[in-house]
Amino acid sequence: MDMARILPILVQFGIGALLCAVGIWAGLRGGYMDWTHPEDKRLLVIIVAGYLGLLILSCAFTFWLPFLPEGGLP
Amino acid sequence: MMDAAGSWLDFYVLIGYFAAVVGFGLYFGRYASSTKDFFFGGQRFAWWLIAFSGISTTVGSYSFVKYSEAGFTYGISSTQTYLNDWFWIPILLLAWLPIIYFQRIQSVPEYFERRFGTPARIMATTFILLYLIGYVGINLMTFGKALQSMLGWNVYTGAFIACVTVSLYVYAGGQTSVIMTDLAQGITLLLVGLGVFLAGVWHLGGFDSFWSLLPLDHRFIFSEFSAPDRFSFIGIYAQDGLANTGAFMLMNQGMMMRFLALRSVKDARKMAICWILVLAPLAAITVSGGGWVARALMENGELQTTASDSFVHAARFLCYPGIYGLVLAALLAALMSTADTLINAVSAVFVNDIYRPYVRRDAGDRHYLWIARLSSLLTAAIGMALVPIYMRSGTIYQAHGMFTAAVTPPIVVAIFLGVLWPRFNAKAAMATMVGGGALVLLSMFPPFDRWCIAPFSFGMGPDSYDFMRALFGIVVSGGIGVAVAFATKPQPIARIIGLIAGTQKDAMRMFKGAGDINRTPGSPAWLRVREDASLEASPEDALLPAEAMAVMTANQGDLLYVCDRRWWLGGLRSIHLRAARVAPDDCVHISPQAMKDAHFADGDTVYVEKLF
Repeated sequence: MDMARILPILVQFGIGALLCAVGIWAGLRGGYMDWTHPEDKRLLVIIVAGYLGLLILSCAFTFWLPFLPEGGLP
Repeated sequence: MMDAAGSWLDFYVLIGYFAAVVGFGLYFGRYASSTKDFFFGGQRFAWWLIAFSGISTTVGSYSFVKYSEAGFTYGISSTQTYLNDWFWIPILLLAWLPIIYFQRIQSVPEYFERRFGTPARIMATTFILLYLIGYVGINLMTFGKALQSMLGWNVYTGAFIACVTVSLYVYAGGQTSVIMTDLAQGITLLLVGLGVFLAGVWHLGGFDSFWSLLPLDHRFIFSEFSAPDRFSFIGIYAQDGLANTGAFMLMNQGMMMRFLALRSVKDARKMAICWILVLAPLAAITVSGGGWVARALMENGELQTTASDSFVHAARFLCYPGIYGLVLAALLAALMSTADTLINAVSAVFVNDIYRPYVRRDAGDRHYLWIARLSSLLTAAIGMALVPIYMRSGTIYQAHGMFTAAVTPPIVVAIFLGVLWPRFNAKAAMATMVGGGALVLLSMFPPFDRWCIAPFSFGMGPDSYDFMRALFGIVVSGGIGVAVAFATKPQPIARIIGLIAGTQKDAMRMFKGAGDINRTPGSPAWLRVREDASLEASPEDALLPAEAMAVMTANQGDLLYVCDRRWWLGGLRSIHLRAARVAPDDCVHISPQAMKDAHFADGDTVYVEKLF
């Protein structure tokens, strides 16, 4: 495993998870964001889906797609 | 930077594009009849319109050249600056935006005044104005240089043409004209940039061939963690992912005004999601794609170019005459759409943070609108006056860059802690801005640069210091702010309700004025609009049929959004009102003033939506 390629994903998505958690906490605190309201629930799902989608994209363009022309995984 | 233009046909396309943008902007000037229209477009626009117009502001003056150069040299990792914005979205949408929207805060300095007091406002106003006006000058100079490269014109002539073009439509229509012209320019940018990339891929025989032609180290989405010094992941992440994105989300006056131009916070959510998750990645391909294609063409032995010329050379290689003129127009669109937003933002800060509070407090709205228009012209003129100074003195140009790098991390940290931490008080905010700014400034001069930044540079050399300075700035500003906040007395919570996370719902109640927050899900009602002279004394009220109130699950006193039925107008003809009494028929009744402000005609079909 090449740590120079893995560390960027760990840092970006680690600090990213912290920033997302702070934002969601700030919304839930005081009741501005309501788990049970359909609009707020949809927003929460989109935030998590966006995070996971970017993580999958980053992993694909780090561990798989760069090596495709050479025949697959490193 | 770029070499000379293509054919006469390209030249005419370019001139036609200029004329169309000015005409478009002037046409929408008729929608600006108050300061609310001039600065915030009347707070009526739909999310998709602001998302597209916002993307042309995001794609800045040097984006095509800078990102194509990075794409040519380092590959697809040139997109990493556009892919690290998502993580700030929860803080933007759930904390910062509700506070500024529901508290009707019109500028970052105004937030500082209400959260921390007058000295903090004065300091923030000074910093932000110096940054914005200096940046107007840089944009005009960039524009002049671009036209010089394309058409061989003198730099001052190009800068002057840009100055007149942009200030004409900003003067006429303010934010409304800026949004509408930036919408057109955003679409042009995306189409042209993506077009060049796809044309290159098609020319090379498809995505497989294109991908195979790129060297292996060009196919990774991130550069290596701490190499090379000038394009390492950690350097880009500290400078762009933390400091610049934080600044873009929290302290960029232009983007703040775009969010406030939206018709509701619900639309702000849709806009931010579409912008960051869909349009920003497309913009990343738009500005970098030329560099990737140029690299693949060079590897294929079809093109010889340098990194800095890669976009223009790839475009000339791939485009027919006339189409290349559109590519040049897209480059100019990137410049103009940044300059217009900056000029409008300076005008807003000048009127709201200097003229209204300190020069003339109780004048009518028409007077402030007049001052806003004048200050737009004045800003453009000062920006133009800076062009020869920047051209003659590289030191002043560099000084602006150093000043920007010095003030961005402290202000971002002050807003971040101010919004999220009730204990963060006025003394802590001032210490963060003054102390953090001074230390970052000190870190720009040897030998302090090595002493300050080397511990934050992850073993990289002096070439990384420009990037890692952002991390140093965030850490020292945050450290000073937290230490002073713990050493001093916190502000009483009652004084900062509605201005900190946890009190957004209170801000919502203050915005509504009376009655409970009604978020019960409902559907919009489609009705005919009727002018009602009996509402002249209360122009914010609307009368609605009982059935429509039931469909929307609205109560008396709820805030409503009334909009023309044509979605593609993007909210240009619309207004915010309050549900008052039950209407005598099946129409929505609104006052003559509201009819005029919304640009409705008696009998128009509109849809009515309950906000809360």
